Amino acid sequence: MFRLELLKLRKKTRSWLGPILVFWLIMLAYPLTVEFLQDKLEIGFFSVLWIAILISMMLATEDIFTEDFNDGSLEQTLIKNLSFSISIVTKIFTYWLLIGLPISILSFIFSLGTTEDFLLSISIFPLAIISSYIFLNLFVLGNALSLNKGSVLGALVTMPLALPVLIVLGKGLIAIQLNINFLSFIFLLLGSLSIIIVVIPVVVSYVIKAHLE
Amino acid sequence: MIKKFIHQFASPKTYLYQVDRFYSYIFLFSIITYIISITWGLLYTPEDFVQGNSYRIIYLHVPASFLSQSLYIAMAISSVTYLIWRVKLAAYLVIAIAPIGAMTTFIALISGSIWGIPTWGTWWQWDARITSTLILFIMYLGLISLHNSFSNHEKADKLLSWLVIVGAINIPIIKKSVDWWSTLHQSASITLTDKPSIDPVMLYPLIGSITGFFGLVICLVLLSSKYQIFIREKNKSWVKDYV
Repeated sequence: MFRLELLKLRKKTRSWLGPILVFWLIMLAYPLTVEFLQDKLEIGFFSVLWIAILISMMLATEDIFTEDFNDGSLEQTLIKNLSFSISIVTKIFTYWLLIGLPISILSFIFSLGTTEDFLLSISIFPLAIISSYIFLNLFVLGNALSLNKGSVLGALVTMPLALPVLIVLGKGLIAIQLNINFLSFIFLLLGSLSIIIVVIPVVVSYVIKAHLE
Repeated sequence: MIKKFIHQFASPKTYLYQVDRFYSYIFLFSIITYIISITWGLLYTPEDFVQGNSYRIIYLHVPASFLSQSLYIAMAISSVTYLIWRVKLAAYLVIAIAPIGAMTTFIALISGSIWGIPTWGTWWQWDARITSTLILFIMYLGLISLHNSFSNHEKADKLLSWLVIVGAINIPIIKKSVDWWSTLHQSASITLTDKPSIDPVMLYPLIGSITGFFGLVICLVLLSSKYQIFIREKNKSWVKDYV
């Protein structure tokens, strides 16, 4: 199942390369909007980074189910004896592997390039990994809800759920910069992710079933 | 047993006739309670030692904030009821509550902003409580737009119910935001476990205004649910007889 999803996504180059390029462009465009002074760049860098991850994940899930819905693959998966939720988990993981992970690595590289602080940048890496996976799950839910109605509606209805994650990311970053217990924020995000990984695929599978009925 | 109870008392027809029976009593009780409480709160309670007269906005802000979260919880319960027991009325209630929830959340945000000027010196702060309430408001708008985007009502009901259940995660975040983060917004003055930190002179009209506002919002929900029933059951013979 994983291999099939990987193959399908690899063939849709625009679907996985597009969000990564958008992320790249946002991060490259950021220094152009501020003065090239190190401290000025650092002020807004992480806010732009989190928003860029959010937007990239939103774009990544734009057509996650559309093709499968139109060609009947989703119906086939549903009538097979395989667990529909597991197939959703696999799909999300594949998308994260091809889009979320490269974006997290790029986050580390851009962070290192901007702040020139290795320890800070290495701390950003797990935050980017976890937050990209959470955002991906949330937007997958949005796209499942608005299947055939355009991804904008889906993004609109699930975006509010992503805002608490952004708040935690902001607080986590302050904790890293002040060298206080930032691990608690990582654990908080991990806790949220562990719930989301279980709940979202189940909800998405029910939502898609409702569309197919 | 629960299933039997729900199916017996939750048919749209029974509900409609029960609403007609109790509506005027609930409305009269609520409006009288709210008018008395708000008059008492605005005219007969003393000024606050720190905030002066500006604190009197609590008689609108607190009931609206309380209701904005309570209505979402009601929507979540209705959604679970709909998805588990397939009760149509529960689905009608979910979409009937959504615009009223959005309205009360909007009142809470606006009244909070007005209160913010004399107390904090600013209309708005990206404080955890205020931001999470704003998220709730956007959630309500998102739910309404999601439901309106589908012409198939049954599908829209199912999708809406799932989203309401997932979005319910925001309610404990709003409730505990003042404890989890160091916020500008004060922590709760009335809790179920501790003695209220608010003076009884101010507390009694506040409880009255919450009760009255709650009743008035219930009346709005009843009217809105009646409208939903008319729209969705318009082809049924009993609706034609009723009208």
